[in-house]
Amino acid sequence: MEKTFGKNYIALTTSPIDLGKIARRITPENCGAIVTLDGFVRRFTNGRETLYLVYEAYESMAIKEIERLVRQAHEKFFIEAVSIVHRLGKLEIGETSVVISVAAPHRKAAFEACEWLIKELKRTVPIWKKEVYEDGEVWIEGDRQ
Amino acid sequence: MIMQIKVLFFGATADIVGSRELVLSLPENSKAIDAFQKVIKEFPSLEKHKLLFAVNEEYSKGEELLKEGDELAIFTAVSGG
Repeated sequence: MEKTFGKNYIALTTSPIDLGKIARRITPENCGAIVTLDGFVRRFTNGRETLYLVYEAYESMAIKEIERLVRQAHEKFFIEAVSIVHRLGKLEIGETSVVISVAAPHRKAAFEACEWLIKELKRTVPIWKKEVYEDGEVWIEGDRQ
Repeated sequence: MIMQIKVLFFGATADIVGSRELVLSLPENSKAIDAFQKVIKEFPSLEKHKLLFAVNEEYSKGEELLKEGDELAIFTAVSGG
């Protein structure tokens, strides 16, 4: 599932994410910087070893929520374009789970917007991760009230 | 009058219910919270979790009235990223 609006691109995919391709989708000519977050699957969480992750989404709502965040980011920060792709399904250790790229005329706004976007994505976008261990598995629950 | 709505589950809630989608029959003028109470009665272990609702793909506090064909999603606090 994907959507383009203005210079922005957002997608949910079960295929591996090509980081450079996502970042380089957005190179408006009035921009001088792209800040890209590469979120990937961690092997050790508080000392416990994860074998792999499974991500699941309420896809139609997740796309809507991501679009809302991108529109809010444009209101809050002096940025030009955003590209967000989240992976779903089974992910191995080290694989990219989420990419957020923000293009801006100057880097400071791009850094700030990227940080704000990942924080809000983790809080509001209906996507869940299951950590699978040697001896069991657990759906991780966020801390939103 | 009785209406039918769709109830969706994801991740932990889907595992508890053993299904991703149920059809629920409710009296007209029921709220999302009424639908939720009915689901909880059938699957009490849902209550061990902190749950969020969405009605027709928008977060909800559960107070609005549902109408025929609405989509209620019941899920745990999100954990993407």
